[in-house]
Amino acid sequence: MALIEFHLDSRSGVPTYLQLANQVRHAVQLGILRPGDQLPTVKEVVSGLAINPNTVLKAYGTLETDGIAEGRRGQGTFVKSSAPAPLGDDFGNLRRSLRDWFGRARAAGLDDRAIEALLSEQHSSGSAKRVA
Amino acid sequence: MTWLGWRLQRTETIVALGIVALLSALLVPTGINMWDAYNHGGLGACLGANPGFSCGNRIGNFRAQFQSLSDLANWFTLVPGVIGVLLAAPFVADLENGTYRLAWTQSITRGRWVFTKLGLSLLAALLAGGALTLLFDWWRGPTAHLDGRLDTGIYDSTGTVMLGYTLFALGLAIALGVLWRRSAASLVVAFIGYFATRILVDYKLREHLVSPLTATWKGAQQPAFLNDARILSLRATIHGHEVLSGGGGGFIGGTGKVGAAPGLKNAIFHAVYQPNSHYWPLQLTETALFAGVALLLIAFAAWRVLRTD
Amino acid sequence: MSAALETHGLGKRYGSQWALRDCTLEIPRGSVTALVGPNGAGKTTLLRMAVGLTRPSEGSVRVLGLDPRADAAETLPRVGFLAQEHPLYGAFTVAEMLHVGRSLNPGWDDESARARIAELGLPLKKKVRSLSGGQRAQVALTLALAKRPEVLFLDEPVASLDPLARREFMQTVAEAVAEHELTVVLSSHILADLERVCDHLVILAVGRTQLAGSIDEIVATHRLLTGPRDSAEDVARVHEVVRESHAERQTTLLVRANGHVYDARWTVHELDLEEIVLAYLGQDAARRREAVVS
Repeated sequence: MALIEFHLDSRSGVPTYLQLANQVRHAVQLGILRPGDQLPTVKEVVSGLAINPNTVLKAYGTLETDGIAEGRRGQGTFVKSSAPAPLGDDFGNLRRSLRDWFGRARAAGLDDRAIEALLSEQHSSGSAKRVA
Repeated sequence: MTWLGWRLQRTETIVALGIVALLSALLVPTGINMWDAYNHGGLGACLGANPGFSCGNRIGNFRAQFQSLSDLANWFTLVPGVIGVLLAAPFVADLENGTYRLAWTQSITRGRWVFTKLGLSLLAALLAGGALTLLFDWWRGPTAHLDGRLDTGIYDSTGTVMLGYTLFALGLAIALGVLWRRSAASLVVAFIGYFATRILVDYKLREHLVSPLTATWKGAQQPAFLNDARILSLRATIHGHEVLSGGGGGFIGGTGKVGAAPGLKNAIFHAVYQPNSHYWPLQLTETALFAGVALLLIAFAAWRVLRTD
Repeated sequence: MSAALETHGLGKRYGSQWALRDCTLEIPRGSVTALVGPNGAGKTTLLRMAVGLTRPSEGSVRVLGLDPRADAAETLPRVGFLAQEHPLYGAFTVAEMLHVGRSLNPGWDDESARARIAELGLPLKKKVRSLSGGQRAQVALTLALAKRPEVLFLDEPVASLDPLARREFMQTVAEAVAEHELTVVLSSHILADLERVCDHLVILAVGRTQLAGSIDEIVATHRLLTGPRDSAEDVARVHEVVRESHAERQTTLLVRANGHVYDARWTVHELDLEEIVLAYLGQDAARRREAVVS
């Protein structure tokens, strides 16, 4: 039985392979996946989601490049021992400031949609945008 | 492929053999009765001893007992048509509903598929047709002795022609089905075609399959060589004037006589006829004709299917 | 190594009507290709020519480097085909259908076929005609896969299926691709069915290929350009304009970009695959309407 299950948001505009990779990253951060754990096999993912196997391979490929997972020939893909540690109290400060910010946003009258729009605007202006 | 070919025509083959079995169940008991009456009732002995001589009573008894049955049996000549057309159904249905595409995209070639399927339906037709032929030939025995083998109704159901008819019906239905790709319609039209062809051959073609003989004689007494013959045309002249003429279409059976009117004692008769001895040449020629056409039709169907787009 | 499917100027004529014309494409091995186009575009004709059911009127078609008609004996064992109506012998039981596969294919993998049928929960003694549409499709797919083909052609495989059956069917296809080195070509007039599993796309419309290539590349190179009402001339000099439309104050262009779009007059948007495909099909429909009117 696979340790985690993937889901897809076909409307998000985020490429499938990225969604899969992010979900693995997220699981590692939350401690659901630990170093040495095996990621779902290509067949398991493909069977559950009816997607192209190459997409899974691409997702796992980026995880390998980022040092989060490693492929072992004939066995599968596993979480690397050197993967970033799960979020713990190390990020307590960040958590607190986020809570404060949300409090202020609500007080300013922003609803969920407005908050989301603000967040994604700041988030994407942070990452590089490639044009054609 | 052999397994598949057989499995696809399993139902129809069983039905065809079932029809033969049903007919056997009907005909064997009556056939035994007829042969019994013929042998032990003395009819056979009488006819054998006195060819052309009237065995009045015995004939009358026999006819009283079996004539109606014999007349009914004339309709059995349609059975080869039913069986032949039935055995063509699986092949045509496969083409009609597109399942042939499944078979053609496995690993065997089209040729093998066509060859096996047609071969198996031919085999089934030979089996069923052969069984019919034997059954009828045996059943008709006594009546054939009585009315002559060349009588139309009897000729049709004795000898080997029934086998030819079965193959012909099969070939016609397959060829039509391949062209039309509609099983119900093709089978119906094929049966009608079978019927029409049979009538044509029975009444127009048959007499010419083997060259008839001619004879001339004087006086109204039918010569012996005309016993059990089929007379195609008959003329009588007195001093060169024609007093009697008639075409064929009728059989003069073993005990019949050419018109014995008193005034014809001095007439000169002229007849064109098929003698009894021509029975087998006629049978084999007609069988070969029908079977040959059947094989041509099947070969055509195979060629057409192989070229399907 | 030869392509899974290669055609050059392939065409098929019925009487005076061309069902497919001037079709040139190459489908690489290992890809899962969506063959999309409206009904009557020639998808079925193309697939039938690929498996040797139909003879080309002009041009050539090669599967794994072989002629599917002339080299049928060699090609057939390596190619799988699932026709649109999922032909099966209605009066046969599921077990007998497997027997068909076994007796007609030397390379038949009976164990996996039986395992698959068991996985699907289909009783072997059940007659095919009493199966649901989705179950029939799965049986037909099992048959096509159990002969271990190298290339699998599926003609509108999910058109008649309900959404759940559709998803299950595509799952089976995706699994088969993951497990074996299988090239798949699926045709459909509904792109959404195929998008998830496919990595290549061929758009066929009015019997001609309009667009062919890897989906990643197609999505990466097509862009929507919006700007104040202006002519497409300048853009058209550098990029291929697939569709242009003008509102009173705004112009919208859908282009296949040849490199970066540097022009500051235009705002550049990315597109999802469905938009791109519709643009090609729409442009084609417009041309057809013009042809009818003129």
